Amino acid sequence: MFQAAVARGREAREGGGFHQHRLAPYAFISPFYLLFGFFFLAPSLIALVLSLFRWDGINDPRFVFARNYGRLVSDKVFAQAATNTAVYAIASLFIVIPLALVLAVLLNAKSLRFSSVWRAMYFTPIVTSTVAITLVFQILYDRDVGLLNAPLIYLGLEPIHWLGDRSWVKVAIIILITWRSTGLLSIYFLAGLQSIPEELYEAASIDGASTLQKLFRITIPMLRPIILFVSIIVLLSSIQIFDEIQILTNGSGGPANASMSVVQYLYVRGFTRLRLGFASAVGTVLFATVFILSLIQLQWYGVFRKED
Amino acid sequence: MDERFGQRVGVVALHVVVISGALLTVAPIAFMIFSSFNTTTEIFTLPPWLPPAEWSFKNYETLLTKWPFPYWYINSIIYAGVVTVFVLFFCSLAGFAFAKYNFRAKNALFIILIGSTMIPFQLILIPLFILMSRIDWINHPASMIIPWMAPAFGIFLMRQYIQAVPSELMESARIHGASEFRIYARIIDPMVRTGLTTLAILTFLGSWNSYIWPLMVLRGNRVITLPVGIATMRSQATAAQVPYGEMMAAASMVSVPVILLFLMLQRYFISGLTIGAVKG
Repeated sequence: MFQAAVARGREAREGGGFHQHRLAPYAFISPFYLLFGFFFLAPSLIALVLSLFRWDGINDPRFVFARNYGRLVSDKVFAQAATNTAVYAIASLFIVIPLALVLAVLLNAKSLRFSSVWRAMYFTPIVTSTVAITLVFQILYDRDVGLLNAPLIYLGLEPIHWLGDRSWVKVAIIILITWRSTGLLSIYFLAGLQSIPEELYEAASIDGASTLQKLFRITIPMLRPIILFVSIIVLLSSIQIFDEIQILTNGSGGPANASMSVVQYLYVRGFTRLRLGFASAVGTVLFATVFILSLIQLQWYGVFRKED
Repeated sequence: MDERFGQRVGVVALHVVVISGALLTVAPIAFMIFSSFNTTTEIFTLPPWLPPAEWSFKNYETLLTKWPFPYWYINSIIYAGVVTVFVLFFCSLAGFAFAKYNFRAKNALFIILIGSTMIPFQLILIPLFILMSRIDWINHPASMIIPWMAPAFGIFLMRQYIQAVPSELMESARIHGASEFRIYARIIDPMVRTGLTTLAILTFLGSWNSYIWPLMVLRGNRVITLPVGIATMRSQATAAQVPYGEMMAAASMVSVPVILLFLMLQRYFISGLTIGAVKG
């Protein structure tokens, strides 16, 4: 009876009496396209156009064609910012991802007691305000009285100038990134671990495989798609890093630009020095990078596959 | 016997590693909370991070009297709350359309939706800011709300949840003459409470913690949000007299409520992060 009713409903709809049904989905999705068009797509196009101009926001813009890009390529500070950003990205890939993977495997271990308590502790950094926690780290990194230097001072060793040394400042930022994102990424790995059939491990145990062998022969190969997915998330977010560095270095990206990221470079050029065209060129370069990485990610998501 | 001993050592080692890592992770948060009850000089006394000998609420008092902290707090709550309400409505509506209707150009529109996530915010930072000043939205609440009302990720998330609702329910409602919007409001929405809660948490949190956008569009001590306010406490101080104690009190008041919220609503949060990440 129910099916008959459904069939009747279909007939009625196809009979043309249901205009509402045809138009409703467009009405439902229209807010997104209106907002996107006005606040995101149009500004993106403006940014692309603006990147070909020289403009301080006050006087008339002057068309300079690709000169902004030419300047960008030869700018030493940009090269420094790009290198720094690459360092953050590589560190995230090769430190944070393996750590998160190991953490997920440990948290997933059956012999672990109170696992939900430890999980909750590892996940708290995700929800903590970046600004708040970065200020905490700024205190912890203080050269003379910061907690991180306390053991060195206690032992009578030379304290590390975390935020004042060109190399250590990068280490300081990488520690902060690691602290913030390891728990988050382990959530993805934990979800992936659930999908590995238990029988694989049982079979391996019968064959006398050690824990490490199981990790490298079963877990990691089975998690490969998740590892790829997480790698791209990590790359995308480290390319766009700003808040942490801005706060930790009091907006300077210092010492001597040693910690400056590409976005911070864009921010300083655009808003402090009002070189809007030039900053838009930086934005365009960022966009191209993110676009390529996202395409890879979407390919993985299978979004371009036609749904049946 | 030996093997069992080895296993027990392994289990103990597992716990040692997991627990020390967990303690290390919450240590900065504990430091923040303890410091908020300490004076600035005590924060920098070694060993500095132990619970204060005397719990003092002085930092909190100063925070409320010397800084427009209550304004920041209320602003943050209002912005995050209003954005969340709009996001829930627009995203579930659009997610419903993508999940349950077939319409012309659906695939193309969906690709635009997903493609929109590829535009990094930094690309549009400057033109969007210019746009805001042209339409007089600098220092206007609209700049904190309207552009952010229908994020693509929210639509994608809601689509995933709504796809799981049986279509037969809609069909029978239609036979009874329900309008499409009524189907959405009366049938779909109640069925995807989990999805809506998840989206609400992620949206509220994103808005609550956002920094760069409010930093750009909000001006004036009483209209800024919490993260911007706290950063201001730092940047306005002279190097010698940074009000660390008050800053830690403010940082605690920003973070502790959302951490508690997270602990209560963890499962929603995690399902929101992983939906779509693990292919079925």
